[in-house]
Amino acid sequence: MSAISIAGLTKDYGDVRANDDVTFDVETGEIFGYLGPNGAGKTTTIRTLMGFQSPTSGTATVLGADVIDEDALVEAKRRIGYLPANPAFDADATGRKVLDLHASLKGDPRRAELLDLFSVPLDRDVRGYSTGQRQKLGLVQAFMHDPDLLIMDEPTSGLDPLVQRTFNDFVRRERADGKTMFLSSHVLSEVRRVCDRIGIVRDGRIVEVASVADVLQRAGKVVHARLRGELDREDVDLAGAHDLSVETVGRAGESSAAGGGGAPAHVAATTEVTFTYTGAFDDLVDYLDRYHVLELDVEEAPLERVFMRFYDDGDPDGLAARGDATATASSDDEDRGAVPAGADTGDGGDA
Amino acid sequence: MLEFARYYGRRRVKGAVAMTTGFAVLVGLYVWMFPSVSEGIDLDAYVESLPPALREAFGLQALGSIEGFLAAELYAFGWVLLLGVYFAYAAASLVADDVDRGRMDMLLSLPVSRSRLLVEKYASVLVPLVVVNVVTPVVVYLAVLGIGDSISLADLAMVHVLAVPYLLVAAALGLLASVVFDRASIAQRVAGGGVFGLFLVDSVSAGTDVAWLGTLSPSRYYDPTAVLVSSEWDLAGAGVLLAAALVLLATSRAYWQRKDVT
Repeated sequence: MSAISIAGLTKDYGDVRANDDVTFDVETGEIFGYLGPNGAGKTTTIRTLMGFQSPTSGTATVLGADVIDEDALVEAKRRIGYLPANPAFDADATGRKVLDLHASLKGDPRRAELLDLFSVPLDRDVRGYSTGQRQKLGLVQAFMHDPDLLIMDEPTSGLDPLVQRTFNDFVRRERADGKTMFLSSHVLSEVRRVCDRIGIVRDGRIVEVASVADVLQRAGKVVHARLRGELDREDVDLAGAHDLSVETVGRAGESSAAGGGGAPAHVAATTEVTFTYTGAFDDLVDYLDRYHVLELDVEEAPLERVFMRFYDDGDPDGLAARGDATATASSDDEDRGAVPAGADTGDGGDA
Repeated sequence: MLEFARYYGRRRVKGAVAMTTGFAVLVGLYVWMFPSVSEGIDLDAYVESLPPALREAFGLQALGSIEGFLAAELYAFGWVLLLGVYFAYAAASLVADDVDRGRMDMLLSLPVSRSRLLVEKYASVLVPLVVVNVVTPVVVYLAVLGIGDSISLADLAMVHVLAVPYLLVAAALGLLASVVFDRASIAQRVAGGGVFGLFLVDSVSAGTDVAWLGTLSPSRYYDPTAVLVSSEWDLAGAGVLLAAALVLLATSRAYWQRKDVT
């Protein structure tokens, strides 16, 4: 059974349709990232799931409970941990009192363990808490009753990088223990780090639901290779290579002059090849086998670039092409600047 | 059960003690000045010279006796008006303030029905309500003894017992405003202003041919002067008030259960 199931969920506020026919499931045991820019409708979905507002149309269930059936939802909430965006507590209550209230209603078997991870000044009034401390107090209450399902709206906002890492590690451990998590974010790299699947929402509509691996696959790898010899663009006939940039950095004549020591001219000629690759690794390896590879970097393409497609109304290919043009131009500049500098250093070393 | 009531009730203890202390000081002041005031001025003649609406509003009768004096100065003003407005105002923030400040999501995420949250929050106003109505009669009694006067213990107790349904209605009006309006400041103004307005309607309409208008006002059903001066206990009125409080509570609950919390 799905931990969360949303079908045709629409929420119309009259002046704005915050959710429009939103449909997706969150499976038990997965970490699902709900991704979208601010104002896309993430919080609307989450607050509907929690029963804070009723859908205009469509249905949703959490842990099998229909979100418009209050009795069922209240029962399900015993097994749900919730962290709102910007969690707020009674300003004149201490953190301890806030947690005591929550514990009295849902239990707190894991309170101490969580307070070790996310420490907060328990005996200070919440009024005196920083944003990060309020967020941590929110995290402690969300997890302390050891719920099966976590629903978190921008869980890492306001946390410093160190605590963010603690949180990410914690979330992965919890997943390994069988917890289901549904978290929203507008930060792509964050979602990529912890989530199994992501749903992308924009203007209240789901534009994509896919596994992170899938999205990464589609995003491809950035391959950067330095090959011996001179290559032209036409020589790189590898299927699945996009955004190609080919730059021969050392030509026979130049190298001979710069290198001095009577090395054969053809040895010094190298070509820098950079491209985004979406094909299979075997094909890449076979292709590179033709050359003498001096250097090889294969890294993940930045997700931001991929998601631009979902956020931009324009033709994705057109956008990609524009992006490539810019990237190629700038890398050209860098290369031109870098090569003479490298050559100088080389000379100095030889002398 | 009652976790919310306990939590919110505890948060009201300090305020209840402060308010009760304030009233105790006021009682002391009134009772202490009563002998000199009642001897120096013919209060009954003074009351006769006032317009009927004002007499009605503040229950000015037998001002020359300690009962009439307290009924007018302390109860008609302090209880019917001040405390009425206070409880309406306090209850008006019960829900709206949490919604306003973004705390309601956190509360509703707990495995508790909206109905229970609402009723327990409402119950938390019983703390100041009970404290002020239990402590004050003791202070009044001792203060009256202190000036060598006397007051009917039964009437004194009854003026406070009958105040409870009245104040529950005021609080229930506040609660209704609190679930309807999302901004605490608006809910408070509507509720406080509403109770004050109803009090005025009752006072101004009394003795005129639109006196029936006053039947809409809770203050029509709680008359401290009648209790203290004439020993008339309006139990039927108390029943009407309790019923009204329940209806207001049920209405608030029905509205709150269907409301989109934003």
